[in-house]
Parts: sequence; C-alpha cells; structure tokens
Amino acid sequence: MATEQPAADHTDDIQREIGHDEYNPVGTLALVFIYFVIVSMLWIFVYFVEFLGRISPMVVF
Amino acid sequence: MGVFADRYPDEAKVVRAALASSFLALLIGGAMGPLQTLHRIDYLRIMPSESYYTVLTLHGVALVILFTIFFLVGFYQWAVTDSLDRPAEDIRFTWLWYGLMSLGALMASLAILGGFTDATDISASVLFTFYAPLEAHWLFYVGLTTFIIGTWLAGADWFRSWWNWKKENKGEKTPLRTFMVLTTMLMWYLATIGVASAVLFFLLPWSLGIVDSVNPLLTRTLFWYFGHPVVYFWLLPVYMIWYVILPQIAGGRLFSDALARIVFVLFLVLSVPVGIHHQYLDPGIAEGFKFLSASNTMFLLLPSLLTAFTVVASIEHGARQRGGEGYFRWLTVLPWRNPAFTGMALAGLMFAAAGFSGMVNAGMNLNYLVHNTMWVPGHFHLTVGTAVALTIMAVTYWFLPRITGNPIFSMRLGLVQVLTWFVGMVLMSNAMHRVGVGGEPRRTADPFYDFEFEGVIGSIGELHLQIGLGALILTLSLVLFFIHLIFSWFGISSTTKITSEAAIRKPLSGKEHAPAVLENFRLWVAIAAVLIVLVYTIPIASIIVDGGLFGPDVAPVRPDHAPLFGLSGLSLSTEWLVAGAAGAVGAIAAIAGVLR
Repeated sequence: MATEQPAADHTDDIQREIGHDEYNPVGTLALVFIYFVIVSMLWIFVYFVEFLGRISPMVVF
Repeated sequence: MGVFADRYPDEAKVVRAALASSFLALLIGGAMGPLQTLHRIDYLRIMPSESYYTVLTLHGVALVILFTIFFLVGFYQWAVTDSLDRPAEDIRFTWLWYGLMSLGALMASLAILGGFTDATDISASVLFTFYAPLEAHWLFYVGLTTFIIGTWLAGADWFRSWWNWKKENKGEKTPLRTFMVLTTMLMWYLATIGVASAVLFFLLPWSLGIVDSVNPLLTRTLFWYFGHPVVYFWLLPVYMIWYVILPQIAGGRLFSDALARIVFVLFLVLSVPVGIHHQYLDPGIAEGFKFLSASNTMFLLLPSLLTAFTVVASIEHGARQRGGEGYFRWLTVLPWRNPAFTGMALAGLMFAAAGFSGMVNAGMNLNYLVHNTMWVPGHFHLTVGTAVALTIMAVTYWFLPRITGNPIFSMRLGLVQVLTWFVGMVLMSNAMHRVGVGGEPRRTADPFYDFEFEGVIGSIGELHLQIGLGALILTLSLVLFFIHLIFSWFGISSTTKITSEAAIRKPLSGKEHAPAVLENFRLWVAIAAVLIVLVYTIPIASIIVDGGLFGPDVAPVRPDHAPLFGLSGLSLSTEWLVAGAAGAVGAIAAIAGVLR
C-alpha cells in the first residue's frame, strides 16, 4: 500500500520569522569581506607571475 | 498544494522528457571525460590520438550544448507554468519544439559519432568551437540549426503564455521566475544571430560544396559573438535556482526581488557585446575593439557580484530563521545533510573561485599568459563543469519528486555524490589551472612535444596525477548520480508517493518594490542592440574588407580519423556495450544494496 508524504522543504525547521526590517545580513558582509581579501591577495600573486616570474611579451627588458 | 506532476501532468511530461534528454547527454558526454583525460596525461591510451578530437567534440557538444540546454528548457517550462499558474497554451506546440530539439541533437550526435568508424565518411571532429577552417559533415550543422530553432520556438511558447497571462492580469508585474525566463530568452535571440549566420551563410554552404572557401576570422568572430553569451545561457537557469530554490531549501526568503530582476536585465544588456575577449590573440581585429570588449566584460562582473551578495544574504536569512547566530556560526545551522543544499552551496563556492580565473581570462594582458593553455579548460570546468553541472545535479534532489511524484531514493547517497564531485573538481581544475600557467597547451592529444614544462610550485608530473585522480573521482560521482537518478525517477524500491509541496516563499523585498522600468523589455533589448552595433560593426566590416566575405581561398581541414579501439567496423562494439551494461547493472545493484 502506497504511503503519501510532502516534498521535503525544511519548512518545519524554521524557529522564527524574520521580516525585512529586522534582518541585517552581517554574516554575508563577513563572507564577502573574506572573498575580497582572497581576491586581492591573488591579484598581488598575479603581479609576481605576470611581471616578475618570466620575461613575457608584455614586458620588454 | 498538490505536487507539480499532479497539477500539470501534461507539462510535467514535457519537463521529464527534456530532463531525460539532458541526462542522457550528461551520461554520454561525461563518459568521454576520463577517456580523454587519461589519454592526454599519457596514463591510459586505449584510442589512437586521432580519435582524441572526436572524443573531445562529443564531450564538448554533449555537455555544453545538449546537457545544459535540454535541462534549461525543461526547467524553464516548469518555471513558466508554475509561476504563471497556467497550463501551456497548446501542448502540441510544446512537444513540437522539444521534438525539433531532439531531432537536431540526434543529427549532430550521429555526425560526431561517425568519426569513430571508417564505415562512413560522416564526421564532425571540429570541437565545440566549430569554426573554420575545421569542417564538419553538413549533418552536424543541420542538426545544430534544428536544435537551435527548437529553442527559439520554446522561447516563443513561453512568450505566448506570458502575453495571454498579461491580458488576464492587467497592471500586474510579471512573476519573478517568468521574468527570468523571458530575459534569458531575449538574450538568447540576440546571441544566436551570430551562430545562425555563421552556419547558414558560410559553414553549411561550405560543407555542401556550394561555396569553395570561407573567411576563417569571420566565422570565428561570428562564433564568439554567440560563444560568450551561450555561457550565460548555461548559467541563467542556475542563477534562477540559486535565487528561488536555494533560499527555499535554506529556510529563508529571497533578499530582494528587484535586485534579482536587475541582475537578469544586466545579463540581457551585457552578455553579447563581449565575445571578442575570446579573440585577444586573433590578428585582424584592432586592439581598441579588443579593449572595448575587455571593459564590457569587466562590467559583467557586476551582476555576478550582485548575485553573490543576494544569494548569500538569502541563505543567511534562512539560517537566522532556523536560529543561527553570530558572524559565522549561522553557517552551522544550514541543512548541510541535504544534497540539494550542499551541492548548490559548493557549486557557488567554486563559482567564486571561477570568478577570479575569469577575471584573469578577461584582462587583456593576463590573457596573453594563459591563452590556449590548460588554464582555460580549468576555468570552465569550474564554471559550466561545476557551478552549472553540480547545481543541476544538486537541484535534481529537490526537483525530481515535484515532477515525478516519487521520493528521493537516498539523501545519504546524494550527499556522497555531490561531495565527490566537489572533491574531484577541486583536484582536477586546480591542477589544470596550474599546468596552464606552466604553459601546457589545450586542445591537443599530445601536449608534451619535446619540451619540459615546469610548474611554478611542484612538478608537472604531480599535477598530472592530480588531474587523473580528479577525473576518476568525477567519474565515480557521475556513476553515483545515475544510479541515484534511476532509482529515484522510477520510484524503485519505494512505496511512498509525493503528493504535496510547499509554495515558494515570497521575497523579503517583493516585486511591488521593483521599478516598473525593469519590465520594459523593448528598452533593454534596444540598449543591448546599440551596444552590439557599437562593438561589432567596425571589426566585422574590417574583417570582410581585409579577407573578403568568403575568405582568401581557405581549403577545409577535415581531421584524419582512426577508428576507435582500432576497430574497422562497429561489430565488436556491441560486445563492449553488452559487457558494459552488464557491469553497470551489477554495480547499481551492489551500491544500492549497501547504501539503502
């Protein structure tokens, strides 16, 4: 005999409703800041790869 | 409310058919992956190097054209029907475009498969980037054209639904999902002008022998006119999933409806006038126009960065509603045991990394360093190979019960599947980027020549090991996905029926706050058209003036073919197929038995 159930959606896990005005996405700010730091560091690394690591067509010594 | 499959049984059938085509292409294209990877790094060579290009074409076309676009049309059909809450206008027309797409896909696939045997002169080993002077059999071009006409009709079908909905709902703003579908399709109409002109005016007459020669730079430019926006055609359904479904699974609400609409409008405006950034190394296009495309491409980072904010903020909202606290602790209360959530979150994480390697590709000077190296396949295995493919696989764990009425076979197996994809791709893609920086070329079966490549850190041999290992883990993940898919789709070993689903929760800032001008599609298409004219008119005119419309007498290049596995016919392949199928059935039964 087939049993019936709803599609899983985690609606039951919600403990409180947070509206537009009460919500401040500070966690998102923290993660975006970390991404910004990583990308900045990678750009500094690219400077070494591109300009100092080899004689590239863009830099004529 | 009732499950989609019960509310709209006819439309659900089309959605299932499109998804079945999509996953069949994933299976075929995915199976080519390990074959070419292991060949390239010289670990396992079971085919002659000439077949590498046929395998690579099948891998590319099956995955980035058939898998992604068949999924898109199925998913968008659901999005339009569900969000407008109205059936398809004429289900026979809906089946017509699906039929055309399938017919086109079949023709293009047969043309590519012809490259594996010398029993026929049909072949299309021209790679996914099928511009001249590589020439395919006409069946390939006719197949692709038929496929694309199918997608145009699909767009027309959705516009027709929207127009009729508008008549009955005067003054109301278009529901978000339908808005996303329409902007994507408008972008697609603009983008496919390039590939349609390349195929209909040049490549097809050339392959039929009507014209003797084509201008390769012209067909390249027309291809890339389409070749960059097509990546957003893969990506935009994934963005819809991240905006609409991911917050739903996280227990939250979309942060801002207006922001989501602005992102889609920006993609409509900016996707096309950037294609020349794939041609930084092409002689015959002036540097100034390359720079224009470079700056347009940097503007395209804006909608992706807006998406990063909106999607993460919407997930965080879910975490806060589930009781999450602090700057980082909220991350721990998210539903990480749900493969749909974890898969999409990891896909998004990889997309953030891809954003960086994409900035390198888009920058004119840095592009010279990585152009035509393995860096570029490393990049797009993060974007289409993970952000898109992993999201599609992950969302299946959410989507399938809604369109089949059957429950997911095993969430645990799903979780293992998405995690193995992530781990495999971290290994493979990272190492591909690094051998690329070391100078190893792409698009070749034998990348070594007599040259010793050097990695910046670590040896090339070690990186090849990572690429091979990554590819094998990805193959394992794909096998798990298909086992799971078959068991879930057909409800094998389950007596439960899914009969109801929760409605998509309203955004925190709803559509009433979205500016009315966003609905003015004519305005956005006009701006996009002006940008395209500005960026492309002079370069294309100068290409034609320099090389002639039909080129400076360029003879076609039809790559030599050696039959796969050294077989001259296909007779032995049947035995391989039977043995493979028997092995697969055994493996499915064994793994299902262990994990159930």
